[in-house]
Amino acid sequence: MTVYITATGHFLPGEPIDNEGIEPLLGRINGKPSRLRRRILESNGIRQRHYALDAEHNTTHSNAEMAALAGRNCLDQSALPASRVQLLSAATSQGDLVLPGFGSAVQANLGLSDIELHTSHGICSSSMMALKAAFTALKAEEHDYALVIASELASRLFKASRYEAAGGQADFKAEFLRWMLSDGAGAFLLERRSRGLCYRIDWIRGFSHADAFPVCMSVGHPRDTHDHRTWQDFPTYAEAEAAGALLLRQDVRLLDQIVKLGVDGYLRLIDSGWIQPDRIDHLLCHYSSHYFKSRIHDMLQQAGVGIPESKWYSNLSTRGNTGCASIFIMLDEFRRSREHQSGDTILCMVPESGRFNTVYMQLTVMEENRQ
Amino acid sequence: MKAEVTSELGQLCLRGLMRVWFDFERQLGRVPLIARLESGRFDRADYRQLLLHWRQQVIEGARWISRTASSFDRDFAAVRSEVISHAQEEHRDYEVLEQDYVAAGGDLSTLQQGRRNAGTEALHAFLMYRASQTNPVDMLGAMWIIEGLGQKMANDWAGRVEDATDSNGELTRFMRYHGANDDGHMEKLYALLDTLCRSQADVDAILRTARVTGRLYALQLEEVDHE
Repeated sequence: MTVYITATGHFLPGEPIDNEGIEPLLGRINGKPSRLRRRILESNGIRQRHYALDAEHNTTHSNAEMAALAGRNCLDQSALPASRVQLLSAATSQGDLVLPGFGSAVQANLGLSDIELHTSHGICSSSMMALKAAFTALKAEEHDYALVIASELASRLFKASRYEAAGGQADFKAEFLRWMLSDGAGAFLLERRSRGLCYRIDWIRGFSHADAFPVCMSVGHPRDTHDHRTWQDFPTYAEAEAAGALLLRQDVRLLDQIVKLGVDGYLRLIDSGWIQPDRIDHLLCHYSSHYFKSRIHDMLQQAGVGIPESKWYSNLSTRGNTGCASIFIMLDEFRRSREHQSGDTILCMVPESGRFNTVYMQLTVMEENRQ
Repeated sequence: MKAEVTSELGQLCLRGLMRVWFDFERQLGRVPLIARLESGRFDRADYRQLLLHWRQQVIEGARWISRTASSFDRDFAAVRSEVISHAQEEHRDYEVLEQDYVAAGGDLSTLQQGRRNAGTEALHAFLMYRASQTNPVDMLGAMWIIEGLGQKMANDWAGRVEDATDSNGELTRFMRYHGANDDGHMEKLYALLDTLCRSQADVDAILRTARVTGRLYALQLEEVDHE
């Protein structure tokens, strides 16, 4: 059974914020300007992004509202009425509520009735896991139509007040992602029939390596690496916060692994015959920073299976790094702005640093009347 | 950027070696001692234990590299020169390791009386056996793993050891030396890929020896905790 992405959509909150506008919006920690900001921004290459926060740090859109707006935008591109959606598969790293699952809130916001629900929890690759759940459900002929939505509202973690509550001085691990991540949502409609210019999902394949590597990106560990409690093990949440356990951290020393594992999965898929490098027309890779793009590119070139730079597409510099939503927002903008034609092959890559899960997807561009 | 590998077989072999290496790194990540090092649950006693076991392999290292060189006939004279100079460079490295062991609070005679663990025995036996074959092209795979460790892991591990043991470079000169020099050694291996990969059988043999070397190396580190 063949499954197609027949419509895509996105939602980015507010006006774009340039590099000079980030710190005034998120706030200076204890009134002091960041010493790391410029260096990190230079290396990640992001020029503007969006935040669902206003200058007073009020949340302008909840995560579920953003997801619903992206879902609505996707359905607006399609001929399919929302009432026909049978499965909602939603992904985020952090819902608005700790419980219940994020998908429930998205369903309520979209007003979808009588659907089957799936929530995928993780970091950047959770959207691909949500997509795979919907893809396989349609392949198994359980449903005809599925809406897949990925949404992130990371900025709530980056307010200056959060760092101040954790003792003021932000360590590098806790501050790094403050200059990397921002907010947004993307959505795909999946159908078992082609419609207009659409994408056939050839396959989705993930490789997780949590058994071999420590945690690289997380919320829940305190600042002191010798303290092995997690946030819920503290007597009170106030003590967990003071210990820095509610800040988003990235162990940058482990980040190099993401490049290697991204390349490793690609080589595995070549060896198993799933990828033929010379047949790829477009490569959409969710790298968090332009620094990684050149590392991945160079390693693939060296291995003799490189993809020419002209085939790489990314909107990281203008839409920011929206975690799991990035690859959806990227494909949506690609669909609307980049020339591509029936028969083209698109490879999507999402290497996640959380605890190292890399997911790949191959799409073939199809045109309804050429079936 | 590394020396360019241009032949089709060289490229095929390089891709295979990359995959073997990535898999080897994951095997290392599952070794309890290395997992402790990477999560900051590592102390000086762990480090001394690591050096105690490592010394045996470092001493044997120069032997199998020399044996490899001597097994290449005149058709491989250039390769032989390369490997000889490599053996010459590294054959007394273990003396630096001994100094690190003492600096970490270890007793030199304990170190010198150390014996090969089960993994080191297996690794050494395998490498000496392969190195003794005529024109052991596949030993490129073994060098890929051992030199790769120096180039890709030594500096990272040295930094983690220094953090975990609250020390500076005084305990980690051996690792730091390899971190600084093995880049050059890897360059030479890249250059050898085109020369040595003359058939699919060569590629298969290189990849197999790399895989076995990696597995036995990881076993050697697993055995550190079994003493």
